[in-house]
Amino acid sequence: MIKITDLEKYYRTEEVQTIALNKLSFEVKEGEFVAVMGPSGCGKSTLLNILGLLDDPDNGSFIFNGIEVSGFNERKRANLRKHNIGFVFQSFNLIDELTVFENVELPLIYTGVKPSERKKRVHEVLEKMQIMHRRKHFPQQLSGGQQQRVAVARAVVNNPKLILADEPTGNLDSSNGNEVMDLLTALNEQGTTIVMVTHSEHDAKFSHRIIRMLDGEKVTENVLV
Amino acid sequence: MAMIRNYLKIAWRNLRRNKVYSLINILGLSLGLSCAMLILLYVKDEVSFDMFHENVNNIYRVTQEKTINGKLHKNGNSGYLQGPRFKQNVAGIESFVRIQGGAEDIKKDGAIYSQKVLRVDSTFFSIFSFPLLEGNPKTCLKNPNSIIVSEDFAEKQFGRLNVYGETVMIRQDSIFTPFKVTAIAKNSPQNSSIQFDVLLPFKVSVEDANNDLNWYSYFLNTFVVLNPYSDKTDIEEQMQAFYEKDASGAFKSMIERYGGGQDATMGSYLLQPYSTLHLDTERPAQNGLSNAGNPMYSYILSGIALFVLIIACINFINLTIARSIKRAKEIGIRKVVGGDRKQLIIQFLGESFLLCFMAFAMAIIVVLLVLPVFNELSNKALSFSYLLDFRLILAYLGLFLFTALSAGFYPALVLSKYNPVEILYSRFNIGGKNYLQRFLVVLQFSLASFLIIATFTIYRQFNYLTNADLGYDDSNIISISKGYISKDKAKLFKNELLTDVNIVSVAPNNVGHLWTMAKLANEEEINFSYAVIDESYFPELKIPIVKGRNFSPDHPMDASKNIMVNQAFVEKANWENPIGQTVNFFYNQNEIYQVIGVIKDYHFLSLNQKIEPQLFTMISNISFDNFDIKIKPNSATQSLKHIEESFKKIFPLSPYSYVFKDDVNKEAYQAEAKWRKILLFGALLTIFISCIGLFGLTVLSSEKRTKEIGIRKVLGASVSDVMNILSLDFLKLVAIALAIAIPIAWMASNTWLENYPYRIDIGWKMFVITATLVVIIALITVAFQAIKTALANPINSLRNE
Ligand SMILES: Nc1ncnc2c1ncn2[C@@H]1O[C@H](COP(=O)(O)OP(=O)(O)OP(=O)(O)O)[C@@H](O)[C@H]1O
Ligand SMILES: [Mg+2]
Repeated sequence: MIKITDLEKYYRTEEVQTIALNKLSFEVKEGEFVAVMGPSGCGKSTLLNILGLLDDPDNGSFIFNGIEVSGFNERKRANLRKHNIGFVFQSFNLIDELTVFENVELPLIYTGVKPSERKKRVHEVLEKMQIMHRRKHFPQQLSGGQQQRVAVARAVVNNPKLILADEPTGNLDSSNGNEVMDLLTALNEQGTTIVMVTHSEHDAKFSHRIIRMLDGEKVTENVLV
Repeated sequence: MAMIRNYLKIAWRNLRRNKVYSLINILGLSLGLSCAMLILLYVKDEVSFDMFHENVNNIYRVTQEKTINGKLHKNGNSGYLQGPRFKQNVAGIESFVRIQGGAEDIKKDGAIYSQKVLRVDSTFFSIFSFPLLEGNPKTCLKNPNSIIVSEDFAEKQFGRLNVYGETVMIRQDSIFTPFKVTAIAKNSPQNSSIQFDVLLPFKVSVEDANNDLNWYSYFLNTFVVLNPYSDKTDIEEQMQAFYEKDASGAFKSMIERYGGGQDATMGSYLLQPYSTLHLDTERPAQNGLSNAGNPMYSYILSGIALFVLIIACINFINLTIARSIKRAKEIGIRKVVGGDRKQLIIQFLGESFLLCFMAFAMAIIVVLLVLPVFNELSNKALSFSYLLDFRLILAYLGLFLFTALSAGFYPALVLSKYNPVEILYSRFNIGGKNYLQRFLVVLQFSLASFLIIATFTIYRQFNYLTNADLGYDDSNIISISKGYISKDKAKLFKNELLTDVNIVSVAPNNVGHLWTMAKLANEEEINFSYAVIDESYFPELKIPIVKGRNFSPDHPMDASKNIMVNQAFVEKANWENPIGQTVNFFYNQNEIYQVIGVIKDYHFLSLNQKIEPQLFTMISNISFDNFDIKIKPNSATQSLKHIEESFKKIFPLSPYSYVFKDDVNKEAYQAEAKWRKILLFGALLTIFISCIGLFGLTVLSSEKRTKEIGIRKVLGASVSDVMNILSLDFLKLVAIALAIAIPIAWMASNTWLENYPYRIDIGWKMFVITATLVVIIALITVAFQAIKTALANPINSLRNE
């Protein structure tokens, strides 16, 4: 599903140039659950943003579902993204002005799903995330764990093939964290490919495979079974 | 659809959540819009003046231009002959109508009152489109004893509208004669130069109609209707050719009688489109036409409207962008879940439209509320129904689209460009340089400062005109006007008046003779105005005599061969020693008059005009038309009673009316006084809108910097340190704005003041006051929020993060 080869990403500021990704190559097959680990600043988030088509690599190839996507313009990327990829962030990133229901509904609106169908699907996924009773609340009125469940709900409502999660448990206590990990595992078991960045060896154990990075390069891959 | 509902929902919740921001935006914008709307209304009314006549594009006024002593004189008036003779002899002129203003004495239930009337030719209703309630427009003016009345007049005279066939008693010579109402007209529209309550058929004697000398009297307005297929220039040439032929004899005898100099020309006849008459300041509407306008006011008003609207739009842009920083997260998320740039632009434009729409709705309410006050101030009768004009609605729609787009487009572009990765990982640098925002604040305050200075200038100048010393004492003087009072009757009346102890003095006069010419001893010609007075005039008005002596009954020659002049006359004549100089005037019949005294210049004309040479005579063959009666202070009631009794006794058949001279003088500058108010209001509004904008910016900027300020305070920054951080930046911008605005305003003020022969000095004080004012207002605005932020407990702001 994902095949990157010699991926490079630089950040230029006035004085220095940082290499965030340095000739990174790996592959993720459909249905896999991969964890990416490494010290702070080694380029994990940068990698995830490129995989999520939020950012463009400076060099190298990125084949998504058999299509070369590096060099796509913003509109094309947005289009590919909204149909195929769901995001979960450490800091939840819900829109404060929208209710739980409306936040989860948003991706469906952008993909042009009919209202009745939208309602059905949002309810389904909220049910699944056990957050249905909170659907009329605003994000500020929820606990961190609840907010992250809403974020996961929003990420999966469109039935994406790929879910990218950047430290999804980073802001949560261990029981809430485990809940989120269970959700991700369940989704993976239903066939969704997942790439997750994490600092926690505990969380990484939920995955099939761990890619370890250092200074923008892949160091090792451990396959867990 | 769902997307739009989602946008609206977010926009609405945003509005409610950010009350200060929304209020400032909507309030500022609606004030700006209502200003613009009112002024659009005003300007539309001004430019549509007289345009309601169906035939307006073919109606022209006959005017004349003449160069006298190298100076071009324009004259919008004409006399008996121009209309009929041009119509008869110039191909392409289809019809004409003469309009002459005047007043007639009308009897009602035994009482006599004076009524303004227009005398018009019978073609009046076929040329102009004044609708009749009753009567035949073609024939109603045919009979010389017919009268056409307005609804208002009918109500006043009869207490009802169906007065067709009724009679009105009007004095002809000395007998009250019945006039039959042959038509009732709707009240004249307010945007008409022709306003009438009573129309009477035009009257001209056979002698006058045949006297070629009447080419040279100008006291009425002649309009002609051109054939729509004819060429205006061609007709003007024909008119000119005919005039030069037809009037050549009259012109010769005029030159012989009145002189005119070597370079005397016959002048040229021109046609002025009726639609341009209202705003013509060189040939103002007079002698039967009214409502003379002045395009200057339209310009000033449009300027204010534009300024206010621009400032409101700047507020909108600045606040939207400033606040967008708080919305960056929302934008980032929308992009992550699949929104593309186009959709975001639509969303933010939509929000801008929503705000504009609310502002617009509010503006309409504001306009409706302030329309009566605005009418009062601007001397108009604009009404709500007037707002519903098709073109005006289009203009308002245009205004709405323009505002919404110009205020919303830039923020939409900026916001939609945010990079979601940077936003969501808090790498987004929200501080930035914000050059645009700074530029807009500078622009905004430059405009506001300019407007304040301009207002100051205009305000002071109008104030000066309203309160200026006219050079004579107009207090406690009652003026009575009555045409054609012979010297003997005048003496009788004066003596009768003086029997009361409250009457201090009585000065009969006739100062209405403007622009006469005479020869000096050295054969040089001089233009001047002259006034017929008696010996009481100067003492009563406290006009000082600077050389020689006043007229006196003790010198018999004073009533025939002696004259007095003003200083401007002496200057123009270039006399070193004016006393004893001679002037040869009155029809060039070689009558020599001798100067016995010089008075100090006083403003006998409006303050908008320079004091011109003036000559005073007591000669007995010219009648008086006015009495200036000086009374003891606080004796008005008794005095007026005595004056009325005396008047009724000496002139039993004439209508009696009086005015206080200082009231008249005040009224002359009423327009200026009103405009002073409008301008002051405009400037206050501009400053207010600028300030709420600045206030909003400070609120947002301190919100944006709460974390920074919290950290600074934890590290030991004092309240005043924080205040400095927050306000200094804005104050710097205001200072730059002042530096830009002051020189420009200075130049503009000077240019404008050149219109006035008597004017204020601009001086540096005004600029200092403006600068101080603007800085203080800005400081207060900014400080309010800065203090609040500076005093806040840092723990709260940090915990929020
Ligand atoms: N916008 C940017 N401008 C400049 N440098 C950047 C930018 N974004 C990331 N970097 C640099 O790129 C490198 C990789 O950053 P990235 O955020 O991918 O690290 P990370 O592995 O996710 O770290 P963490 O575990 O702390 O989240 C870092 O050295 C960072 O300083
Ligand atoms: Mg990271």
